[in-house]
Amino acid sequence: MIALFAAIVLAAAPSSVVTSHRKVVAEDGAALALYRYGSSASRLPPVLVIVDLGFDRSLADPLARFLAERGRTVFVAELRGQGASASGHSLRSLIHLDLPAITKVIGEPVQLIAHGYAGSLAMAAVGHELQVSRVVAFSTPMSPEPPTELQAWFLSDGARFSSLAASPEGAEIFSQLFAMGSALRRGGTRDLSRAMAAELLAWLQTGDLPLDDGTSVLARLHAYDTPTLMFLGLANAWAPSEACVLLRERSRASVQLRSFSRFSDGEDFAHVTALQGASAPSLIFGDVEAFLR
Amino acid sequence: MRACVLLVVALSGCAHVYGQDLPPEAQLHRAKTDDGVELELTRYLAVGEVKGPPVLLCHGISANARNMDLDERLSMARWFASQGREAWTMSLRGTGTSDKPPGATSFDDYWRHDLPAAVEYVRKLSGASGLHYVGHSMGGMVVYAYLSQGGQGIDAAATLGSPTRIDFGSSVESLMTNFGVRIVSPTGAVPSALGAWLTAPLQGAMNDGPFQRFFYNPQSTSPDAFRRLMIYGTADVAGGTALQLASMMKTGAFASTDKTIDYRADMAKVTTPILVVAARLDRIAMTPAVKDGYRALGGPKEWLLITRANGTRGEYGHMDLVIGERAAGEVWSKVLNFFDRHARKEP
Repeated sequence: MIALFAAIVLAAAPSSVVTSHRKVVAEDGAALALYRYGSSASRLPPVLVIVDLGFDRSLADPLARFLAERGRTVFVAELRGQGASASGHSLRSLIHLDLPAITKVIGEPVQLIAHGYAGSLAMAAVGHELQVSRVVAFSTPMSPEPPTELQAWFLSDGARFSSLAASPEGAEIFSQLFAMGSALRRGGTRDLSRAMAAELLAWLQTGDLPLDDGTSVLARLHAYDTPTLMFLGLANAWAPSEACVLLRERSRASVQLRSFSRFSDGEDFAHVTALQGASAPSLIFGDVEAFLR
Repeated sequence: MRACVLLVVALSGCAHVYGQDLPPEAQLHRAKTDDGVELELTRYLAVGEVKGPPVLLCHGISANARNMDLDERLSMARWFASQGREAWTMSLRGTGTSDKPPGATSFDDYWRHDLPAAVEYVRKLSGASGLHYVGHSMGGMVVYAYLSQGGQGIDAAATLGSPTRIDFGSSVESLMTNFGVRIVSPTGAVPSALGAWLTAPLQGAMNDGPFQRFFYNPQSTSPDAFRRLMIYGTADVAGGTALQLASMMKTGAFASTDKTIDYRADMAKVTTPILVVAARLDRIAMTPAVKDGYRALGGPKEWLLITRANGTRGEYGHMDLVIGERAAGEVWSKVLNFFDRHARKEP
């Protein structure tokens, strides 16, 4: 009996996940950091995770480990301007340069987990620069809403995440924008370049982002047809759910929505809490794994 | 168990003491619909100089006219009157002191019979050719449907937390569409008023309780205000209306019971100026649900998101838009500003 109990406990305990990282060089010479979770022996397609602008791979760490523990090979990419990667000066280069470089290393097709505006860019690349069989989207507005007053101020000020860590007022602003009152830590962030912050602000103001090949994110949204599971954060003040649902309205894809509320689920989910909140593993991660299986 | 029931009933009785009468200046009226139902209307004359057309205020589901006049301080009706606008509140059929007709009542009855009767009555009594309208929650859906089908007499409107699509993959939807529809009949009612009355004394007894989580945000509304709303501001939900909304959850369509009218599609024909107001932490009419209506409207239209990120002191939930402590300054004043900008010049 004791042996059986011990076996159950051991089986339930999180297994150690092998992680490694490597440098990927884009066509223009920019160095990008790519992290692998789990072994490369999985027969299922690799999972590529793109977290939002301003954040690094640590935001995806709990989900990547969760999937790797269940036999998936997960790659978390830091695009230019994120984490340990080179500086970034254009959102468009994420689509045209970074994603092709990364898929050259990990192979295609991939299954994509997309988060926030960087995730929206990755979804705009689907069928173009990126061959993807399934997408899990966390608050990815492909046609953003006009910015709130706070967003406009933050982006006009250069999206300086470091300034938010410097004072209680900054912590309050971070909480409002990204965590809606949650006490989640503010580590794992990096300031956007002025150029990127201005480009993101213009994207929010106009609802569309022109791309170098003459298309735009919105134009690509209309042609998007990859099966997608999308998680909406009711309390997401950074990438609001009213913008994200346009994927269902305007694309040709089969889009399943999942929304949560503090009333029915104990959690509204804000921009970072959907990936790092205490209830994310129980409410979200299992559905992600099932959808990608 | 018996003692608990007795305690709740006793407490509910005490709670009634806090119910407040309408103010002396409120004038009670009855308007008759084209299918013979008498509706409760209450008039609040403009204080001082009249500065624009009368404003008709309509409550949401499971509610009555008192949502718009909870007390001296939390009263959209008295606030509009104080701003020089004659204000009228109304109770849809089966709510407040309005008649509850026999047989089934659906959402369609509200825009087809009730709103036209109220609009005509107010126009006649006030002498105004056109009104301004504020609808909270389902009260906004009613005006969407009314205007989409060619309804007249409203020159500008504001909707507060009014969804036109409610299928966003939540567990509440799953519960309603799989279980709720089985226990409700079209001719029956969901006894939400009794539930509210019985549980009213418990408001404020626990922090972060289920009512706070669902209906309001304590950052913006006091538990005492919500307790009083539950005592005299709630109503049963007509079974037909509940089933129609459950169908919305299941199909994503904003349509008539018989499916012959697609309100959302017809909203593109609306040319009445409408201000669409949503609250970031509205867990009943989520922002995408409200934005769906904004997108469907033909225009002119404006979108207003109530959130700290746009300058409010606290986040707003569903009921905070009508009984919030700071709603007059943070919400209603913006509605009035919209009306003033779109006021039609009277001949």
